[in-house]
Amino acid sequence: MAFITTSLFSCAVVKEYEKVNINDPDMTLSEKKADRNVTTAHSYREAAVGANGGKTGGGCGCN
Amino acid sequence: MAGKQVEAAAVIDKIKIMKRIIIIFCLIAFVKSYSQTSEGSTTEYKKRVLETTEIDFLSSYYTQDGDNAAVSGGIGTEELTDATGTFVVSIPLNDDDILTIDAGVSAYTSASSSNIDPFDDGPADPFQASSGASRSDLWGNVTGSYSHSSDDRNEIWSTKLSVSTEYDYFSAGLGGSYTRLFNEKNTELSISGNVYIDSWNAIYPIELRPFGENGNRLNNPLFTRNNITGNTNYNPNFTPFDSEGRNSYSLGFGFSQILHKNVQGSLALDFVQQQGLLSTPFQRVYFSDVPNSFIDNFQLADDVEKLPDSRFKVAIGGRLNWYLNEVVVLRTFYRYYFDDWGITSHTASIEAPIKITDKFTLYPSYRFYNQTAADYFRPYETALSTDEFYTSDYDLSEYNANQFGFGISYTDIFTKAHIWKVGLKSIDLKFYQYDRDTSFSSSIITSGFNFIMD
Repeated sequence: MAFITTSLFSCAVVKEYEKVNINDPDMTLSEKKADRNVTTAHSYREAAVGANGGKTGGGCGCN
Repeated sequence: MAGKQVEAAAVIDKIKIMKRIIIIFCLIAFVKSYSQTSEGSTTEYKKRVLETTEIDFLSSYYTQDGDNAAVSGGIGTEELTDATGTFVVSIPLNDDDILTIDAGVSAYTSASSSNIDPFDDGPADPFQASSGASRSDLWGNVTGSYSHSSDDRNEIWSTKLSVSTEYDYFSAGLGGSYTRLFNEKNTELSISGNVYIDSWNAIYPIELRPFGENGNRLNNPLFTRNNITGNTNYNPNFTPFDSEGRNSYSLGFGFSQILHKNVQGSLALDFVQQQGLLSTPFQRVYFSDVPNSFIDNFQLADDVEKLPDSRFKVAIGGRLNWYLNEVVVLRTFYRYYFDDWGITSHTASIEAPIKITDKFTLYPSYRFYNQTAADYFRPYETALSTDEFYTSDYDLSEYNANQFGFGISYTDIFTKAHIWKVGLKSIDLKFYQYDRDTSFSSSIITSGFNFIMD
């Protein structure tokens, strides 16, 4: 909540022409496609899932 | 004469006024038509969400090993190899809509699952692989998704359907999401939901099958052809599961924010409810209050794992990415997880892409993970026959894990290299080494090829 509140009320709006660095492919906030199989392996071997764009349960006979 | 001159002047004045009116009307019409043309241009020439068809080919080769196989009750080899290949094809249907087809197969060979039947060749041993049918399996998946973006690109709707199957498991999934961008696309909120309707085709350890309904118990050839040692009056507490369905429902919320022209972050909150058969039917359990029986070096199961038929999971995670300079980007992730089986977990990772040229980037990374044990976890030979729930699956035990990774990517935004009508845009190669503070370790090599249609 603190992060959300701080984000919404303290940040100046970054204009489209200022988003060159934000639009860098390595700045993407989602999981990169090439990392998908690693995340899947974690979801099979670890109890914790979710909040990372990977499997959250279902679709496999895994934990 | 003078009257005619006055009339003529009046007519001229009227003509001038008419001219002015016509000029003003024309100006208004021109401005109006120009503005309409401009609006029309905005609609007609709006940027496509996806310019052209993209094809990704993702593959990986995974290996693992350890000494706590769940198939053999928490003792035995966990050796497993898996090779995966997936095609992801994204097709722009028009300016606003994208259809994505995601199809993949995964083929694995597992020493531990081969020990579902360890008696089909040679002396049985939990640390030795068997050569039976359960040694390998093939998992296949097809997912189709469709997304629609609004004209101003501030709203995105998507839906997906998925089907996956393997020898003992089938899954059908349905999902959807809605994303809204605000604040000149600096802020993004999203909500998503998924439903999976899954079913097991339960495969039980070979020695327990004769003790199911209408089984011939110790008269089964398995026991007449092999000598039971230890407790020769083998009489497991085994009842097959009467329901083999598993349903999973998830609800997710997302929030992302550009914090600075070089920094952006996101938060994600996922709720997952699972119901049905959450036990894995072929994972053995050995009771400490029941005498042990063996064939060769293999301990015969007292039961299969028994877990509750519902589980509620909550995960909250955050990402913060920082564009340090033209060479280095920092990508960080943290997640806290808990569920009603008593497991809590922390995950933290950092990756630092380093651009060494305009085409090549290096990807060193580190990930830490820990979890507490499930309430129902019992190490090898410690469960009691009087317990209601029990499992010796060490994936549900307490442990810490460290993962180190390194990768390299090649990117050519001009797609000079061509195969038929597709241009190669990027190649990603990565290697990860994962070690728990138990005997378990694994490694994975992944590759990703991104092509763009001409």
